[in-house]
Amino acid sequence: MTAATVSPNTQTGTARPWLTAAIVWALLLTVPFWLPMLGGYTALAARVLVFGLAAMSFNLLLGFTGVMSFGHAAYFGLGAYGAGLTLKYIAASTPLAILAGILLGGLAGTLFGLFIVRRRGVYFAMVTVAFGQIAFYVAYSWDSLTGGYDGLRGFSRAPLHLGPLTLDIVNNDKIFYYFLLAVFAIATGLQGLLLASPFGRTLLAIRENERRARFLGIPVERHIWMSFSISCCFTALAGALYALLNNFADPMGLHYSLSGEIVIMAVMGGMRAFWGPLAGAALFVILQDTISSMTVNWMSFVGLIFVLVVLFFPRGMLGIFQKGTGK
Amino acid sequence: MISSAHIAIRRRALLKSSLAITALAAPPIIAARGETPVRIGMVDPLTGILSALAASEVEGARYTVDLLNKRNGILGRPIELLVEDSANDVGTGVQKTRKLIERDKVDVVFGDVNSGIAYAMSQVTNELKVFQIVPGGHTDPITGTDCKWNVFRICNTTSMDAAAVTGNLVKRFGKKFFFVTPDYAYGHTLQDRFVKNLKALGGEFQAELLPINTSEYSATLIKAKAYKPDVLLNNMGGLAQINCMKQFIQFGMQKEMALGGALYELESIKSVPKDAQAGTWDMEWWWNQPNVPEVATFVGDFRKATGKTPSARHWFGYVAVQSVRLAAEKAKSLEGPKLALAMEDMDLPPDVALQPGRVYYRAGDHQLMSNIFVGDAHPPTGSPDDVFTVTSVVPGETAAGPVSETGCKMVHPA
Repeated sequence: MTAATVSPNTQTGTARPWLTAAIVWALLLTVPFWLPMLGGYTALAARVLVFGLAAMSFNLLLGFTGVMSFGHAAYFGLGAYGAGLTLKYIAASTPLAILAGILLGGLAGTLFGLFIVRRRGVYFAMVTVAFGQIAFYVAYSWDSLTGGYDGLRGFSRAPLHLGPLTLDIVNNDKIFYYFLLAVFAIATGLQGLLLASPFGRTLLAIRENERRARFLGIPVERHIWMSFSISCCFTALAGALYALLNNFADPMGLHYSLSGEIVIMAVMGGMRAFWGPLAGAALFVILQDTISSMTVNWMSFVGLIFVLVVLFFPRGMLGIFQKGTGK
Repeated sequence: MISSAHIAIRRRALLKSSLAITALAAPPIIAARGETPVRIGMVDPLTGILSALAASEVEGARYTVDLLNKRNGILGRPIELLVEDSANDVGTGVQKTRKLIERDKVDVVFGDVNSGIAYAMSQVTNELKVFQIVPGGHTDPITGTDCKWNVFRICNTTSMDAAAVTGNLVKRFGKKFFFVTPDYAYGHTLQDRFVKNLKALGGEFQAELLPINTSEYSATLIKAKAYKPDVLLNNMGGLAQINCMKQFIQFGMQKEMALGGALYELESIKSVPKDAQAGTWDMEWWWNQPNVPEVATFVGDFRKATGKTPSARHWFGYVAVQSVRLAAEKAKSLEGPKLALAMEDMDLPPDVALQPGRVYYRAGDHQLMSNIFVGDAHPPTGSPDDVFTVTSVVPGETAAGPVSETGCKMVHPA
């Protein structure tokens, strides 16, 4: 897996990234067999995959470009609406729905990116929040198309027809999980290739020292814009998969609170590690699912764990395995 | 002195400990018991603005589960109630419903107080063919245009609530209404029905649609003041309704217009200042019914067990669990399709109905036909819970109209 070549610590020359990738894939491939024995369920694993992909996509921007967005839920939600609206109004085709989701979220991100690419720091973050809230209120107010606050209902993912073979992703949750895993593998594979390419290296250079990158003649704004657009496309893909998972899309999928959760997942897992956001998403989703069944104050526990991770493991859960003192 | 190597080791140890704690925090493996329990999953907004109403529904269901477990359970099996918080968020409600069905393998699902969530849940339970009762989500399509073979509802539809009280409000206060309405499924259908009834009586109105969790109403109340309505209909729910009431009083508007609307529940009336304990409203069940002896027994037992006076929400939870028992006994099964058929046109016995007249689940739309208690809210007289006086009882069927008007076309699985 390309992840081995994209870890920021590849310069250490150890086999650890390959080992991490092997463990991650072994776990993901066998989830439907061991998770129920631990009291979990397949839909929970599917949720981890979806939010893991969203957090990893967001991390292309934060972890590997050094730019903070607080509005990534907008592209996640647009991806979900793109998929849902396609299934409801255009055609009962799962691939078409995914494509529409990516296009809607990705194009919105690409266009919006043009306007904000010159902003930095807190200004960049604030403008991304503002755009996210615009998207939220459009979905909330456009009741006739989006279903308003109640969300978009009345659509369902369709079976996949691969020549003579039909995959029943509608009624069989395990087949649907492996379908999600296949899409996840393609997306993370592309992300890995991207980060290992000269373009990815350039992003790392911008993250490490933007001024020096500029002096070297690198068109910094263009690279940040491209990174933002690519990140939005992958986040929209995650949103489209979320709509397929729930057969449902709602405005809270565009809300800034979800943007905050995506940031928490990436930071908790380790934003300098390729698989870190996936680990963060797994921890967040499992904690939410488990603790919220025990107490209505579950957010306090998630918040406490987040604070502890930030205090004691500033590079996140997977960051602890990395060598060096990178801040 | 502690070296950096020591710190690194300790950090690793801390990481390992954290992972171990996380593993322990994973959902526990539920041990097999002597008798497989009947599992009921309940999704309700235990956090958020509807939490007080949700807590009462859950408490009513828990009370009934304890009561039945002391007797013979359901079909001789103990009952286990699994409660999940939807956090008043549709996406979370859908996720929790899937969790209850796929992980916990519940036989029946209850929920949600939030109409939008209840509506979305019905799509999931229908897809997974699990029997669902909606104890307290009012929006019409659940038992109307989008009715489903596996979904039954206990609380009234918004059409029923609006039909029961509109004439009363017009007769007593006038034909000029100002609506403060939550901008989601419940609010939309409720306001539509009020407007339809009001227009039929020659009335006029202005309305303001607000987010479900609105806490600040000054701009809306200024608009209402300028419109000079005869009645302000506060259609908000839970904490949002309470906040609106408090600000209504702070603005001194109670001297200029009457208050009224569909629901002003016991939990909410008790949470507002005395001046806001006013207006003409519907109660979907009321604890003080001197002419129905079963009610006094139920209220006494409930108070003994919980220390509280039961509200309509408690009754919803009570009826939901009792309905599963009655339908399972009739069907001799807990399979969804058999439960659904058994529940159709099923009468509730007096000790479950707890009100006068016939109370039953209408086969055509799966809506419970129960009475609507129209009356006036007022500051406590006697006991702290004596905050509402019933002036008329409207039979459910009168308020609901015929099935053909609901738009429901019930289709059972082959």
